[in-house]
Amino acid sequence: MLAYEFMQRAMLAGAMLGLIAPVLGVYLMLRRQVLMADTLSHVSLAGVAAGSLLGANPSIGGFAAAVIAALLIERLRSLYRTYAEVPVAIMMTGGLATAVVLMSFGKTLSQSFSSYLFGSIVAVSDTQLWLIGGAAGIGLIFFAVFRRPLYALTFDEETAGISGVPVRALSIAFSVLTGMTVTAAMPVVGVLLVSALLVLPAALALRIAGGFLSAILLSVLIGLAGIFGGLTLSYAANTPPGGTIALLLLAFLLLGMAARKLWLIGRRRANGGYSTRNKPQASRTAARTIATVAERTGKSQATNGKEGIEPG
Amino acid sequence: MLLSSMRNVVFGYGEAPVVQGISLDVYRGEFLGISGPNGTAKTTVLKLLLGLLKPWSGTIELNAEAFGGAKPTIGYVPQHAASFNAGFPSRVIELVRSGCHGRLGLFGRLGPEQERLVRSSLEQVGMWELRRRRIGELSGGQKQRVCIARALVQCPDVLILDEPTTGMDARSRTELYRLMRHQTRHHGITVVMVTHGLEEAERYLDRIVTLERTEAEAVGETAAEADRNDLDDRWETE
Repeated sequence: MLAYEFMQRAMLAGAMLGLIAPVLGVYLMLRRQVLMADTLSHVSLAGVAAGSLLGANPSIGGFAAAVIAALLIERLRSLYRTYAEVPVAIMMTGGLATAVVLMSFGKTLSQSFSSYLFGSIVAVSDTQLWLIGGAAGIGLIFFAVFRRPLYALTFDEETAGISGVPVRALSIAFSVLTGMTVTAAMPVVGVLLVSALLVLPAALALRIAGGFLSAILLSVLIGLAGIFGGLTLSYAANTPPGGTIALLLLAFLLLGMAARKLWLIGRRRANGGYSTRNKPQASRTAARTIATVAERTGKSQATNGKEGIEPG
Repeated sequence: MLLSSMRNVVFGYGEAPVVQGISLDVYRGEFLGISGPNGTAKTTVLKLLLGLLKPWSGTIELNAEAFGGAKPTIGYVPQHAASFNAGFPSRVIELVRSGCHGRLGLFGRLGPEQERLVRSSLEQVGMWELRRRRIGELSGGQKQRVCIARALVQCPDVLILDEPTTGMDARSRTELYRLMRHQTRHHGITVVMVTHGLEEAERYLDRIVTLERTEAEAVGETAAEADRNDLDDRWETE
């Protein structure tokens, strides 16, 4: 399979996307902007159409459109502070409508659009590979350098701003990076499934990780496994790569959630009803409650059915 | 020394003002309590003081001389501090460390001094033992204490707390008031706290500002009634 140049390109593109997209997804989920990836992919479709109509490189057109849309969303966010999803919905509608209208002007556009909509392994050109590499490189440096201020910003923008974190500049940079990554991912997974690459690994990582850094690292591992596994399955079964990768990531998510549930049940049984993590706290709470009841009612602890627990 | 001065400030979110003609002074090193019934725009007044909201009219001035001409470091604990996303993948110590970033700048890294401050802040709010706990597993009162530790770790010049005792038990509330009193007396920090529990907090405060609705209640008009209490002597002897 790897003897073919197009598969080598697809794997290379997948590896780079697998490093950056899930990290971005973790931040998007925590910032409650999970639909942003979908929106920017729809807007970049309009850029692809505009680029084709103007005789420019469609990928560059899509790239520019996504970055501009990301900046506009950031601007709209300040107008709809308490409704973070509204600017995203506005841009999604605008982007898709523009793409549909622009498509109607170019009759040959519809065919090339299918590779953008659903993704195609053979669609990864040299230009796209460079765009993916650029987005991944810039993104990884951005997250490595600004990991801590980004954490503060993601947890609570208002408090982060008051404590001196440059919220606006970081938010704009984050939005531009999202636009770049989404456009870069389109040739591999397609417009319609680009958010799967960002959201699904992050969704699983956030369910099972203990801390922030472990959530980031775990999401990357899940993303890479999904992309490599999906591309391999797609090649073997001759299925669309975007859909195959998305389905595999979805399977990971469902299996991961089920495994976590079973693990928690197992730990509770092994620890007599408490998970290890909560056991000391639960015991203290129980002991205190009994002591209070005994004091107020004048009954002994034994009458409350909890003989042997020391008051906290 | 005067730290901040608010004069005849008018502000609203829609057409009608919710703050009308309010004047308020904050002095350096005092423990100021802001109280009042629901709907008297206590949080809005705090946000105006913080510069998060721009007044329609009136002035809010910060006395730079009070900080030697430098920009003051402000620690802030918002009203919703304890209701943050329970699924946020973070441990207590990670969250408190994040309070250092504003002071360190974008490229700064935590050193031994910051780690010492993190430990000290967590110990002051009684959360050091739970530093490895996921924040989503904490009770409301514990979350509130973690957010206070995150504010303290900045070594702020001014600490602004918006109903910080929400979800705390009586003992924790008293400890918080004592801690804030200690911060003002021994570290020179100015503490401004919005509270509903005035009966409990009164004896720890230097000054109380009560916001009241005026007769123009329909448009949420607010007035400030400042009442300077001289509790210093009483407190120094305790």
